[in-house]
Amino acid sequence: MSRSANHLDRRGLAWGLVGVAVVIALTFIGSDRLVWFDAALVGYLFGVVFAVFGVAYRYAVWLRRPPTAMLNRRGWDAFRQRKARNVVALPSLVATHLLTQGFIRKRSRARWLAHQLVFWGCILAGLVTIPLTLGLLHFESVGQRADHYQVYISRVGTMKFDAESIVGWFMFHALDVAAVLVLAGVFIFLRRRLRDPGAMAVERSGDFLALAGLFAVSVSGLFLTVSSMWLEGRFYSALNTIHALTVILGLMYLPFGKLFHIFQRPGNLGVAYYKRANDQGAPAVCRRCGEPFASAQQIADLKEVLPQVGFDYSIEGGGNYQDTCPRCRRAHVTLAQSARVGGFG
Amino acid sequence: MRSGQFGIDDNPVFVIDQSRCIGCEACVQACAECGTHRGQSLIHLERVDRATSTQTAPMVCMHCEDPTCAQVCPADAIKQTEEGIVQTALKPRCIGCSNCVLACPFGVPKYVADFDQMMKCDMCTDRTSEGLTPMCASVCPSEALWYGTIEEFRDTRRGSLFRDFLFGRQQVRTKVYTVIDDALAGPLDVLAGVTSTWLDDPFGLDMEAPS
Repeated sequence: MSRSANHLDRRGLAWGLVGVAVVIALTFIGSDRLVWFDAALVGYLFGVVFAVFGVAYRYAVWLRRPPTAMLNRRGWDAFRQRKARNVVALPSLVATHLLTQGFIRKRSRARWLAHQLVFWGCILAGLVTIPLTLGLLHFESVGQRADHYQVYISRVGTMKFDAESIVGWFMFHALDVAAVLVLAGVFIFLRRRLRDPGAMAVERSGDFLALAGLFAVSVSGLFLTVSSMWLEGRFYSALNTIHALTVILGLMYLPFGKLFHIFQRPGNLGVAYYKRANDQGAPAVCRRCGEPFASAQQIADLKEVLPQVGFDYSIEGGGNYQDTCPRCRRAHVTLAQSARVGGFG
Repeated sequence: MRSGQFGIDDNPVFVIDQSRCIGCEACVQACAECGTHRGQSLIHLERVDRATSTQTAPMVCMHCEDPTCAQVCPADAIKQTEEGIVQTALKPRCIGCSNCVLACPFGVPKYVADFDQMMKCDMCTDRTSEGLTPMCASVCPSEALWYGTIEEFRDTRRGSLFRDFLFGRQQVRTKVYTVIDDALAGPLDVLAGVTSTWLDDPFGLDMEAPS
């Protein structure tokens, strides 16, 4: 590594600051020059700003790793090659690769259910909390009717609803619904992590930290509802501070911990386009057995990336070991080893 | 077959000696019982030349000190523990590109299409972290896959433990040892003298002797 880990990455810093500027501009413009900005949520805004800076910074640094940069470039190249067809394919790819997550269901139905509960709970919570925090979303009474409200997105009035209706109940309890979904998922995950010896063996502190954070945010949020509905507002102020603290710490944890995979995972779409493009290109042929084993493009990309990360698989006299198929690699190792112990048997 | 339990100061090592494999496939079955990837057998068992020989050869992850698979992973999903074990891809991160599958010099990682994930041997972390022998080594009757202390190996086995390999110009040191007779001859050059395919000349008998 030629760069000191103590130095901030300039490009990351620049992207982080761009992200912060966008959030601040969005807040200022979206809240109609702060008219609809709720000062009580300023702590949350700080959390969002920090999270955006951190995520943009880490993302920019991540994209500069040679294999990531290569895949990012190739993914976009593949997307542009057949743009119209790829745009049409995008909704289906997003649905299968990002939203329904069928690949997790094939590993385990319980894990898939847990992940879906946490995923949709967080999406719902984010859709409510972030626009509220930035002042992009607020509610106003309709005329003099105290039980009817209208949803405003920035200055634009949208749907009206009766506070006593099911829609009204959902509007005011969306975060409770989100908390229940997340908690259900967290408990399924925890059950597995505490009971499965395999999961416990490969446990990382970040796995529990992410679950603990989601648990703390959800429970403290639900207690706010408990306080206002059944305790006549007792402890509300203290609970509100605790909840705000958990959310802000959670937002600050986002760029560093396990939850950063939320932002990495869409890279999977680039891989899907890359694979589709490669399937239509020429295959790489094994230098040993002569059989096709991968796409020529991916092998060429790997041969370009490997020297950048410090490897030289070139062969004296010409050729490259990377042109060998995995099966023949195992054969090479086996035959070489057996030759050095006097043969098989 | 080995089934002992090791203490924290024993520093047991994993040894693979493909030449001793008898092809019983016990390791293939046992691998699927590993707690960290239950149901998926990740060990490779190759037939050297099905037409003329019953010889087979296993391949486990060699746990390179500087793992190529981790370095070419665009998602930074492959991590190494403090003990030098190169773990299977982190599930939330792996984006299923197969770079690791294609770059590993030993041909070890597997891409599991159903899960859209790379999976590989993690030396039975659930067992080795508790001082137990990895599943495959615990059932291998010929000790082609062996787990124990270096002293124990010297006392009971022939050959020298070795863990330096040469792939073209690239030298790779691994955590897993192999066995050779001539340790002084330098790294195990996997391409040295092997120009034929298995089917043509599985044991290199037809090759010209070096002058």
